[in-house]
Amino acid sequence: MTATTAAQRYVGVDIQESEQNRAVVEAIEETNPDCTVQHLPGLVRIKCLGRIVITRDSVEEKLGRDWETHEFQMAIVSYFGHIKDWDDDEIVIAWDH
Amino acid sequence: MQYELRTQVIEPKRKTFDNLVARYGDRPASRYQEGSIDIQATENFHFRPLWAPDKEIYDETFSVLRLTDPYSFLDPRQYYYAPYVTSRAAMFDAFSATLDYLEERGMFERLPQAWSELFQTVVLPLRHYESAAQMVSCDTARFGMGTTITQCAAYAAFDRVGNAQLISRVGISLGGGSADLLDVAKTSWLQDASLQPLRRLAEELLVERDWGRSLVALDVADQLLYPLLFTHLDEVALNGGAGSYSLIAQHLSKWFKDQRRWLDALYRAWTSDPELGETNKVLLAEIVEKALASAQTAASAVAVRADQLVGTGSLTAVDESAATIREFFRALGAPMKEKQS
Repeated sequence: MTATTAAQRYVGVDIQESEQNRAVVEAIEETNPDCTVQHLPGLVRIKCLGRIVITRDSVEEKLGRDWETHEFQMAIVSYFGHIKDWDDDEIVIAWDH
Repeated sequence: MQYELRTQVIEPKRKTFDNLVARYGDRPASRYQEGSIDIQATENFHFRPLWAPDKEIYDETFSVLRLTDPYSFLDPRQYYYAPYVTSRAAMFDAFSATLDYLEERGMFERLPQAWSELFQTVVLPLRHYESAAQMVSCDTARFGMGTTITQCAAYAAFDRVGNAQLISRVGISLGGGSADLLDVAKTSWLQDASLQPLRRLAEELLVERDWGRSLVALDVADQLLYPLLFTHLDEVALNGGAGSYSLIAQHLSKWFKDQRRWLDALYRAWTSDPELGETNKVLLAEIVEKALASAQTAASAVAVRADQLVGTGSLTAVDESAATIREFFRALGAPMKEKQS
């Protein structure tokens, strides 16, 4: 098995596709310019090499209302990677090693 | 026999309307965008307004304040019908819960005499101010250019009816279930010296034909009155044992915060317009200075009355709000006067 570093492997989230979640997807796209977005039936998969950041500010701006990071749980179906940080202002998904 | 299950992605033929594709690229648009952008009719007007022969029925020149692209302004709250109605229903429910509580506990009877009088002679008459504000907002909704602006104005107009209703319901509760106090409040609105400058301001706004000027002037008046009555006096009420005043005030100050969001965004859109921004800055400075002069007279008269009854420092609060307004527009680049008149 070839060893890969954390920065070379993908992390990602699957988000249920809905009117509400579209703002979340747009915010993630904007915060992580290198990510790829794949539309699956009913789902949107966003993946990125090494690290994905979801910030409260960016989602609130897209959504036009207050948004708390715990609401992210309502949007996601699945994720891969490790949730490194989940506080009031941002969620960071990345591999540890 | 074995079956293999596979997902198949079917690309939709169109992701959204062509006008939105032209603006934002070929991607799914939000309902707010689909229901707001480029909606207003701009051509094929068959009838000209006889009362304004130099204009079309929807015309950019109904206000001096203009945007190169009217849709460069977007409502930060992204209200279209459904979210607007949901949010206002929640506001009304919250207000009803407060009012029920106040009535159940007989809080209005326990109100100190001075505060009861403040409700009667200062707050209740403002339902007529709200009514004028509704007409002014309707005017913007009719003559404004760009659905994103007129939509916000139309919702603001509904909000003002709503606010007048909240105030009326307080009046009915205060009067023990009868509307007599509202009649008294109308007489106050027409006769009390402390309210005449405000009534004059409201009536002058009603005859202003330029929707941009009246919208800004109304907002300037709001920015003096709302913080005075529902933030400053709220504070005083809490210290002065008039909890029920504060319970009512919170709903109106919460609404005003919501109202500010689209207006501040509109000011930013006006001043940051690539072509007309500089013109707009000069115009805004002139409109705001003029509006501040009459609004400050009106709000100060109300503040003096409030100070006589309950308050301390209401006049200072008005002056501070006026300074904040000047500072806000100066920060946007409008050449405001340095020293306040």
